[in-house]
Amino acid sequence: MASAPQIEVPDPTALVREDKVHRSVYTDPAIFALEMERIHGRAWLYLAHESEFKAAGDYVVRHLGTQAVILTRDKQGAIHGIFNRCSHRGATLCAFDRGSAPHGHQCPYHGWTFNADGSVRFVSHPRNYDGVLDPADQAIQSVRIESYRGFLFGNLAADAAPPLLDFMGHMKTSIDDLVDRSPTGKVECGPYVLRHYYRANWKMTFENLNDTIHPGFAHAASVVSARNVASALPASEQPVATLGMMLANGKPIQFFQDIDMVTAPGGHSYIGGHMGASYTPDAQNGYVQAMTAFHGAERTREILSIDRHLMLLYPSSFWHARYQTVRILRPVRHDLTEMIGFVFRLVGAPDETYANAVEYCTGANSAASPVIADDLEIYERCLLGNGFGDQQWIPMSRGLKETREVTNAFTRSPATSEAFIRNQFAAWSSYMAQA
Amino acid sequence: MSDPLSQEVDAFVHHEARLLDECRYAEWVDLFLPDARYWVPVSIEQRDPMDGPSHFHDDIQVLKARTHRLANPRAFGAEPSPRTAHIVSGVRVDRTMDDGALVVSSTQIMLEYRNRGGFEADQRMFGGRVTHLLRRMPEGLRIARKRVDLINAEGPFNAMAAPI
Ligand code: FES
Ligand SMILES: [Fe+2]
Repeated sequence: MASAPQIEVPDPTALVREDKVHRSVYTDPAIFALEMERIHGRAWLYLAHESEFKAAGDYVVRHLGTQAVILTRDKQGAIHGIFNRCSHRGATLCAFDRGSAPHGHQCPYHGWTFNADGSVRFVSHPRNYDGVLDPADQAIQSVRIESYRGFLFGNLAADAAPPLLDFMGHMKTSIDDLVDRSPTGKVECGPYVLRHYYRANWKMTFENLNDTIHPGFAHAASVVSARNVASALPASEQPVATLGMMLANGKPIQFFQDIDMVTAPGGHSYIGGHMGASYTPDAQNGYVQAMTAFHGAERTREILSIDRHLMLLYPSSFWHARYQTVRILRPVRHDLTEMIGFVFRLVGAPDETYANAVEYCTGANSAASPVIADDLEIYERCLLGNGFGDQQWIPMSRGLKETREVTNAFTRSPATSEAFIRNQFAAWSSYMAQA
Repeated sequence: MSDPLSQEVDAFVHHEARLLDECRYAEWVDLFLPDARYWVPVSIEQRDPMDGPSHFHDDIQVLKARTHRLANPRAFGAEPSPRTAHIVSGVRVDRTMDDGALVVSSTQIMLEYRNRGGFEADQRMFGGRVTHLLRRMPEGLRIARKRVDLINAEGPFNAMAAPI
């Protein structure tokens, strides 16, 4: 009896140990394909903010893993996600990444037209289909969407996915941290997005952004240059924020050893801030006054004293509450990744607050940022290097014996630890173990 | 093109590009006024650099740090350092502002090469409309604003080390 040929999928969980990971997770296209199915096909992935849809018909095209989805606001105000695929012969419906389609999405090929929720508005030349095909059966497959405080997440697993709040767990507090900083309770997505890409695996960014040992080495040149410029400034002049960001990478390692890294189930993490408590993002203090009027003095103090650096929401987004910057990671291939940066306006805050956020996003996500340029180069070098020689395993054991506190919701370690990478691979394994 | 102002402006814009191509970054930064901005927006529609993030939005401090870094062998994003060749065309004085500043536009293409062993991928091409706001100073024309509208402004871009 002939049986269908089987594609061999090795047990992916064998690629991860407590303290090391097999290099093929970065270099093997077959592993990437399986990740897209089992990780990005199951996790909640940040897609868009509700303020990006002002009017009925407004849409954006975003990705869930490698899948393009159209998000559109309908006439009742609800936001729907559907695949960017005509249900006739498969042409993509939207060519642009944002726009307005108040009369539905019309396919460029034969003109079939779809409502925001994917249902068919009309098919062309319908008499040909009389008694043959019912347009009501041709709706475009939709994607499950849930919102948390205006941030919209999508999930390809539909009903099999847990509620969004269960997925976020403790990390929802970092989204609260962002929204609570608004003196009106509202945040609004800025009109421009900043994109970069690199030729290496998507996980490189996740394993880099909470790595506090690399800046002193990978970014040493920016530190030297920023110090050179800062030391030549007249006493009356302060380093600008972007220079400050370059200088911050020169902090001694002991500084990071002393602050906390927080890891949580699901692969998520953040580290304690480096900016000090009671950061106020404008010189005139108008921001604090507006905050106090809205939240009261005590709550305002509480909100502004939270000092967290970047929160990594595994496996697809990065949240910086203090600088109102959110980045989406889009995996394209095992060796190609795009990063998309968004800045949010704290509605009611002074313009200076938004300007600070804009400056942060430019420094943190531009391919031309002296800091990011070094990171991108390193990611690509790791992909290259991992193709050489026989060393199969990559250690991720830094700080393995330095756990500070374990609770049900999170674990604390020194910020110099690779605990966040081990935590990501624990999540990776549990996603990848389920067929 | 025969009038003296057009000739002077044409020579200035070519000179500025030449300094970049010859990696004479300190001299290049010296062409910028102390309150200058160098801006590469993410959209040709962007009116104000504070409306959103940019690829580059440098004041003089950042320009100095950025170009100082290019000379450092530990600037991995610029190692090996980029080589560039600018083609400058159609330099034109669009407008003279009330205070005498000149709005100058040109079309430019920049070839960029970094030898990373990546074959064709090592060479890239950037191009678009460049707009200068120039002021006449005792030492000659100087840059108050330089805006580069890349035709692919929306990106995405891989690491960019050389200013355009
Ligand atoms: S493919 Fe869309 S209408 Fe035919
Ligand atoms: Fe970095």
